[in-house]
Amino acid sequence: MTVIDWIVIVATLLSIVVYGLYKSRTTKNLEGYFLSNRNMPWYLVLLSIMGTQASAITFLSAPGQAYSDGMRFVQYYFGLPIAMVVICITFVPIYNRLKVYTAYEYLENRFDIKTRTLTSFLFLLQRGLSTGISIYAPSIILSSLFGWDILWTNIVMGGLLIIYTVSGGARAVAYTQKLQLIIIFIAMFLAGYTVVHLLPSSVSFVDALSVSGKMGKMNIITSGVTEKGFNWNDRYNIWSGVIGGFFLALSYFGTDQSQVGRYLTAQNNRESKLGLLMNGLVKIPMQFFILSIGVLVFAFYQFNHSPISFNSALVAEANTSQYKDSVQLLQHGFDSINQIKSAKTISFIQAEKEKNIAHQNALSADLKLLNQQTEAYRTKFKEIGKKVSDKDTNDTNYVFLSFVKDYLPIGLKGLLIAIIFLAAWGSIAAALNSLASSTMIDFHKRFSARESSLSEYHTSKLYTLVWGIFCILIAQFAHRLGNSLIETVNILGSLFYGVILGIFLVAFYLKNVKGTATFIAALIVEVFVVFLFFNEQISFLKFLPDISFLWLNAIGALGVMLVSLCIQPMIKQKNRRAEALLSPSYSK
Amino acid sequence: MMDNQQDKLPLLKSWKQWYAVVIGFLILLIIAFYLLTKTFS
Repeated sequence: MTVIDWIVIVATLLSIVVYGLYKSRTTKNLEGYFLSNRNMPWYLVLLSIMGTQASAITFLSAPGQAYSDGMRFVQYYFGLPIAMVVICITFVPIYNRLKVYTAYEYLENRFDIKTRTLTSFLFLLQRGLSTGISIYAPSIILSSLFGWDILWTNIVMGGLLIIYTVSGGARAVAYTQKLQLIIIFIAMFLAGYTVVHLLPSSVSFVDALSVSGKMGKMNIITSGVTEKGFNWNDRYNIWSGVIGGFFLALSYFGTDQSQVGRYLTAQNNRESKLGLLMNGLVKIPMQFFILSIGVLVFAFYQFNHSPISFNSALVAEANTSQYKDSVQLLQHGFDSINQIKSAKTISFIQAEKEKNIAHQNALSADLKLLNQQTEAYRTKFKEIGKKVSDKDTNDTNYVFLSFVKDYLPIGLKGLLIAIIFLAAWGSIAAALNSLASSTMIDFHKRFSARESSLSEYHTSKLYTLVWGIFCILIAQFAHRLGNSLIETVNILGSLFYGVILGIFLVAFYLKNVKGTATFIAALIVEVFVVFLFFNEQISFLKFLPDISFLWLNAIGALGVMLVSLCIQPMIKQKNRRAEALLSPSYSK
Repeated sequence: MMDNQQDKLPLLKSWKQWYAVVIGFLILLIIAFYLLTKTFS
């Protein structure tokens, strides 16, 4: 890293903090602090929704995902536009009509206090932990690649944004997210342009896509069907994307306060709906663009030397371990294949331009074989990596940043690193604001004596600060527990989302079902979903199918609706019996 | 007056048309992605 890169990073981050403080002026009451006095236009709502969803790991992980698994990850977002439409028809009018501060307030209105408190508590638990992890996940990658101290990386990643989030609440969060997204898109566009520019002069953008396509990276649409039928454990295909992705997006945008809080800041129904519908239009093309960068990086490494692992700290550690001779042998074999691959790729492009189909097909088969061989070397290195270090051996999240570090020009490298912080800040700031609003509205204000508006405003700022410190502590704690925690917390989130959505769907669509039936159904289905997920670990549950986590959202949501429908008549019958026992005629 | 202003939609006449545009665009994207997949594989 050069001085210029450091200047770019510091200037970008400080300008966001200063801008956030400049936009901090707000009315000193709860509506001003948490909902920006409900005066945001649709385009700010849109950018705020996008900035909240796109975390640092989105920009780090998506190109790496495309590099290793191809473009099919984009299907994960196919259910999102449909969910936006359903939220506009059902959720938004109700939230706006009731003038709620949090999504969970509505549940007390529709059911009872226990359902509201349980749902809000689940949100706080899940969002608090996942925000801590969303600080830790990019920090560990940056600290590993650049040798930075993890504590200070965590503090900058999760700490500086607290200044403007505490000071300006939802208004500061929305305005900084707008500026952050503009900088992020400019930087990502420059990165994409640079990758194409760095390809050999005879290789065009289309040639790069063609090479990647032949290696299976342009698998944008996949059916999930194998020789044995539909694979329920396949994470990304058109069906899991449209159906599972729909329930996940419906749950996230309709019931997660970190998103609901964004569109509640809108001036009215129209601005909320427009913000959400525009998100439905732009989200998939945006993800497609980010994934394309990963495919271009893959093409770039077909012509250039790629590392045996993109986690350079792991390679360095393996090279000084007792396995260093084995590592050097692997490295030698890997480099030799890479050289052959590079020459064959150039020949392939040439054959394609000459329209020599037979030669093209032969080279394509050779390239596939060579890629399989390099993958075999990488797998062997991962096995050694697991023995010598507790560092992450799965280097998918390291691909893009490793490329940035090794190949991008001075200045742009600093900007790309800065946008990782900005992307993290956008989602973390919204999460802190929503954690504070749920704590204040669903617990503090609901269960304590009435306070003045000014006192509530100051208490809300305090809660934002406390949640900020809590999340940094979680990030620091996560470092001690190792990498598996990231996956664990992500899975934990998917275990609860479906059931929470189910509670809201019962509230909206099943008018005859009351609070107690919903509460019991939620508990039953939650236990079932957990069993379904852990079926492989528990011997007596092995008869249950092995399914991908995306389907759990649909099962949880539909399960709560079905079970509550079955339970409600039983509760009614029980109540009638109890009434009959207590009635005066029976007493006589 | 406030209600009238709120009801006015940009570009399209009703919310139903907006919803159709969002779903229609999704279908178009899926078709385009399918063609891209076929072309480059």
